[in-house]
Amino acid sequence: MCTYVNGPLIVQSDKTLLLEVDHEQAGECRRAIAPFAELERAPEHIHTYRVTPLGLWNARAAGHDAEQVVDALVQYSRYPVPHALLVDIAETMDRYGRLTLSKHPTHGLVLTTTDRPVLEEILRSKRIVPLVGARLDPDTVAVHPSERGQIKQVLLKLGWPAEDLAGYVDGEAHAIELAEDGWALRPYQQQAVENFWHGGSGVVVLPCGAGKTLVGAGSMAQAKATTLILVTNTVSARQWKHELVKRTSLTEEEIGEYSGTRKEIRPVTIATYQVLTTRRKGVYPHLELFDSRDWGLIIYDEVHLLPAPVFKFTADLQARRRLGLTATLVREDGRESDVFSLIGPKRFDAPWKEIEAQGYIAPADCVEVRVNLTESERLAYATAETEEKYRFCATTATKRKVTEAIVRRFAGQQILVIGQYIDQLDELGEHLDAPVIKGETPNSQREKLFDAFRQGEISVLVVSKVANFSIDLPEATVAIQVSGTFGSRQEEAQRLGRVLRPKADGHKAHFYSVVARDTLDQDFAAHRQRFLAEQGYAYRIMDADELLAEGAEGTEG
Amino acid sequence: MSTEETPAPRSLAEALRARDDASLAALLRTRPDLITPVPTDLTQLATRAGTRASVVRALERLDRFTLQTAQALAVAPDPAAYDDLLALLAGDAADPAVTAALPRALTVLREQALVWGGTDRLRLVRTARELLAPSPQHPSPTGLGPTVAEATAGMSPGRVQEIVAAAGLTSTHDAVSAVASLTALFTDRKRMAALLGSASPDSVDVLRRLVWGPPYGQVTADPAAHLRWLLDRGLLLPTAPGTVVLPREVALHLREGLAHRTTEPLPPGIEHAATHRPQVVDNAAAGQAYTALATVEELLKDWDEGGPAVLRAGGLSVRDLKRTAVALDVSEPVAAFWVELAYAAGLLASDGEADERYAATPAYDEWLEWPSAQRWARLAEAWLTATRTPGVIGGRDAKDRTLSALGPGLDRSAAPEVRHRVLALLAALPEGSSPTVESVLARLHWERPTRGPQQDREGDEDLRTRLARWTLAEAESLGVTGRGALSSQGRALLGAPAAPVKAAEPTGPGDKLPVHHRDHPHPHAHPHAHALEPLSASEQAVASATAARLLTPLLPEPLDHVLLQADLTAVAPGPLKRPLADMLGVLADVESKGGATVYRFTPGSVRRALDAGRSASDLHDFLTAHSRTPVPQPLAYLIDDVARRHGHLRIGAASAYVRCDDDAVLSEILADKRSANLRLRRLAPTVLAAQADPATLLDGLRAMGFAPAAESAEGDVLITRAHAHRTPPRTAPDPVPDGPPAPDTTLLSAAIRAIRAGDLAATTPRKPTDTPAATGDLPRTGPAETLATMQAAVMTGEAVWIGYVNAEGAASQRVIAPIRVEGGFVTAYDHTADEVRTYPLHRVTGVAELVEDQP
Repeated sequence: MCTYVNGPLIVQSDKTLLLEVDHEQAGECRRAIAPFAELERAPEHIHTYRVTPLGLWNARAAGHDAEQVVDALVQYSRYPVPHALLVDIAETMDRYGRLTLSKHPTHGLVLTTTDRPVLEEILRSKRIVPLVGARLDPDTVAVHPSERGQIKQVLLKLGWPAEDLAGYVDGEAHAIELAEDGWALRPYQQQAVENFWHGGSGVVVLPCGAGKTLVGAGSMAQAKATTLILVTNTVSARQWKHELVKRTSLTEEEIGEYSGTRKEIRPVTIATYQVLTTRRKGVYPHLELFDSRDWGLIIYDEVHLLPAPVFKFTADLQARRRLGLTATLVREDGRESDVFSLIGPKRFDAPWKEIEAQGYIAPADCVEVRVNLTESERLAYATAETEEKYRFCATTATKRKVTEAIVRRFAGQQILVIGQYIDQLDELGEHLDAPVIKGETPNSQREKLFDAFRQGEISVLVVSKVANFSIDLPEATVAIQVSGTFGSRQEEAQRLGRVLRPKADGHKAHFYSVVARDTLDQDFAAHRQRFLAEQGYAYRIMDADELLAEGAEGTEG
Repeated sequence: MSTEETPAPRSLAEALRARDDASLAALLRTRPDLITPVPTDLTQLATRAGTRASVVRALERLDRFTLQTAQALAVAPDPAAYDDLLALLAGDAADPAVTAALPRALTVLREQALVWGGTDRLRLVRTARELLAPSPQHPSPTGLGPTVAEATAGMSPGRVQEIVAAAGLTSTHDAVSAVASLTALFTDRKRMAALLGSASPDSVDVLRRLVWGPPYGQVTADPAAHLRWLLDRGLLLPTAPGTVVLPREVALHLREGLAHRTTEPLPPGIEHAATHRPQVVDNAAAGQAYTALATVEELLKDWDEGGPAVLRAGGLSVRDLKRTAVALDVSEPVAAFWVELAYAAGLLASDGEADERYAATPAYDEWLEWPSAQRWARLAEAWLTATRTPGVIGGRDAKDRTLSALGPGLDRSAAPEVRHRVLALLAALPEGSSPTVESVLARLHWERPTRGPQQDREGDEDLRTRLARWTLAEAESLGVTGRGALSSQGRALLGAPAAPVKAAEPTGPGDKLPVHHRDHPHPHAHPHAHALEPLSASEQAVASATAARLLTPLLPEPLDHVLLQADLTAVAPGPLKRPLADMLGVLADVESKGGATVYRFTPGSVRRALDAGRSASDLHDFLTAHSRTPVPQPLAYLIDDVARRHGHLRIGAASAYVRCDDDAVLSEILADKRSANLRLRRLAPTVLAAQADPATLLDGLRAMGFAPAAESAEGDVLITRAHAHRTPPRTAPDPVPDGPPAPDTTLLSAAIRAIRAGDLAATTPRKPTDTPAATGDLPRTGPAETLATMQAAVMTGEAVWIGYVNAEGAASQRVIAPIRVEGGFVTAYDHTADEVRTYPLHRVTGVAELVEDQP
């Protein structure tokens, strides 16, 4: 008598949930646990979710109660769920809602409690004291409206999350419609917009190339209000503008660009992080942009790159709707939780492989090519200064030969060569006879080159990390990474993202990472690949000799 | 009640004599202390049953109502009629529950030889009466004071007559009859009501304050009018100057006849916190049982290569416990529980080496081979019967030493009994229902009320309550209970029969959390489920086997496969078969544990497997054989890549080498048989490594006709010439003089002072005493005389001569000038030591005055 249900879920004692993907109930189970568990890893057979207090509280905020969570676990679990874990979930969820932030007719914003000892406890915290005003009655304390974000963040850290009932300002109304002529929002984009709108504020995580801009446009069409869009750089700002004009009822004149060169403030304004964080005489002169209009929606593109000053300022904007867009919410500085508490919880997340399966992003073949250092290089590497070591192994001459071989192999396709070190890129550019785009390349020149690449006039482009993000190069099918920013996981994912836009002819994208064997380069590469590996991208590992031999045979076109 | 005992027994011994063997056996079973040693006859048995220690022990083991009955008997007249006793317990209102419960309580008391005599002449054993009857030193739990007769015992007859008159009774001719008539008045409800009816509200208020005890109150020498009114009528009687007492009869009148404020004839019921489907309970418990096994295994695996050191006082240091807790990913008290459990089950012990460490026992290896369910039964059985209680770890013992895990002082003899009782209570509940902790504690408290006032102080619960709490928590972590309800395997472990019929259907299909169900407190179905007795060793073995059999199908079947993924992880979707688990444990690092195990392959872990003697192809075959999915390319590559570099560098030990540019010479040496004892090995064409030391090698090669030169560490040729043999650095020996060292001046002056003072003490002419001591003897005087002489010396400021024995027992004589005598110490200027010192008087053997003309 086997008494348990053979469920798809295994609940681990460290609060991770393992979901067997091939199980017939997997889809059902995924939907049941998605509201409270974070997808952490999604390799091919078993997906890992994690139950965190933040996730549980977000589930509470979205109207799920402890009983539903426990039911979901018990129903799908293959083995008995540890009792301690169930009790812990109930207790954690019970902490939510003891405190509420709400509007008060005379005192502005107030913090109310249903459990007086909790209020007493948090008022004793040194970090709360400067954020609150007078005690109005035993259960209520006034809060400075400008500290709304700050107090929410601190309360979260104290383990007593506040339910925010103070609502949002509508902002200055502005008519925005989606111009769905001949195209429509994809189902998952629609879902993301809905989830965001119901949640109020939050972050949408979609793979590179899956059309995050359209989620932004969709949200604007929902808000129908003036919108401030924050992006990483000028090129990206232009792309946003171009896309908005094409996809919505907005016209060129309604969209302003606020960057180093232009300072336009229009109903829809696109600003770069760089200009916002420009500091003059100890102040940020451009931060007043946030107050220059009564914005109804603020969109943060590539929210994982949010710089610290913007973090701080965002805390003061809690009364406005905020939408964060990203492909890779991993920060090597571990500030993911700040993003969640300031912009809002994750409202939508789709595994890369799932979007790929739906055909919205191109399938990719990821290959790590290991090159051997020559004997003299090995000796030099062993004696190099610690801080020089990575640079030394990442720029080994052997990589050039391999890169050339790969370029030869994919001759005729649109190829990007991406690297970190300018010397290396210049040298590659020379050998491949390809233009190089780097930090010092003026914007006009960059756009001209990108355009030529899109048109197919240039087939090989060598780029530095300036092209890491938000550069829309739909026709690129092969990316060759020769060096990177140490072990940055999101950089790797973003670089892969450059080739994931679905191809007109539907063929595969290729991503090559050229790595020097037995060196720091290899260790960093292993770390960089982790995010993608956890998303289910299986790297093939090849020896350079093997590749060069294949190249000589001249197979594959 | 049996009333047909032929002649009424006149003593406990006679009462015992009249009992049959079965009833005597029952007595001896409940009070086993009476037969150690076996008494010679019933008189001796009766005497022993009446000893204080034995009676205290018996009373401590009574349930609350039986104890209350005994307490009521102690305040009732001796002997008491059944009806009187009933009136005291049931009160004027005649509580029917009490009426129903009293015969049982009385039977228990009789069986335990605490009460004897016929129904109309119930007698509490004298010692018990003394223990339970109220006295000013030991206020009774009933809160009653002495009777009128007792309280007026020392009163003048005239005063008694005054009281009688004031109470409105006719005066009698002697005090005894006066007290009797006063008692009669106080026990007559109607007349008493009339008397109190005429009292002022203030007076009544005073009585109300004393009625439930303590019955003693303070009055001033000149009491206020309302107090005077009460004192005049004997409603308050003086016991000592300024103290009055409320006589027992008056208190009982005001209490409507009740001896206790709350009589608790029935045990409090066990409240249901939640009801789960029995299957859910069994599964949850089985899941926990599996976790228990995994945890114990993990603990001992962690300690596999030498566990933590044993503290000198025994036990595990706090640091090691902390480390273990981190390793097991549990809190420290929980870690302590697992460690103690493994110890109790004989799976771990100290190794008894010079630097003692904890390690797994051979029994552990045997245990590992057993089927899971049987392994669990072993743990559960060990837990059930152990007297060691992990719960007290971290606390302090009577000597304020910290109690450490595995250390001494953890045994609590009550533990097995409490564990068994708690589980028996759970067993009495319908299947699948879990009780509230508080109701279980209340029930235990009723069954064995603790004496003394500290029982209700918060944060300082008595041991039994704490034991019960620990039992509930530990039973859950061990998987004896699941979701707070006793599992069927737990039930079997107790040897309990199948569960009683279900009381209520579970409320929903899904399993519910206890927090949502605080309703339906279930009326207790089995108030006296004492039937479930602890099992004997052989019965327990049978019960454990049954439990193991029940558990077997609930435990997950070990798997023989894993799922390999391209992110270099392997997931075992359930427990693995042992060889597979062991191998994977070497080849990969465990990342997450629970129902499944997640492993991660790293270069380090693969290298570990290669170090353990596996080859790359072994590993490939192993993974292919046990993976349900194809081996991902990155993993295969990882293994090959690590294997490629594994063993690339080779390391060995050699004591000398032979180097020669001409490899032919080296070949010649190797070929020469005479070189065999040098144990040479060719490392490279031009290098030989030798196991012989350089000198032997040199000699050996020279003997073979070669002319080798020695080389220094830097490669220079050493010039060999006969060199002198030297020791390592040594210090010159210290001179050993013939006699003692020459003393320096400080030492000398001190010595002289001591000699002079000693001389003074020995030669001072003393006043002749009554018992002249022999010369050189210590003076001897009685303590009183010593004290008097010292005090006199303080007054006069004179020096005295004393004999003194120090803490080591060495006697000496001293001349001291006492300054102060207090608290058993004398502080004095000591002429012998030349400083002020303090001596305990009890160490002064005697004292003698100095002759007048001495300093």
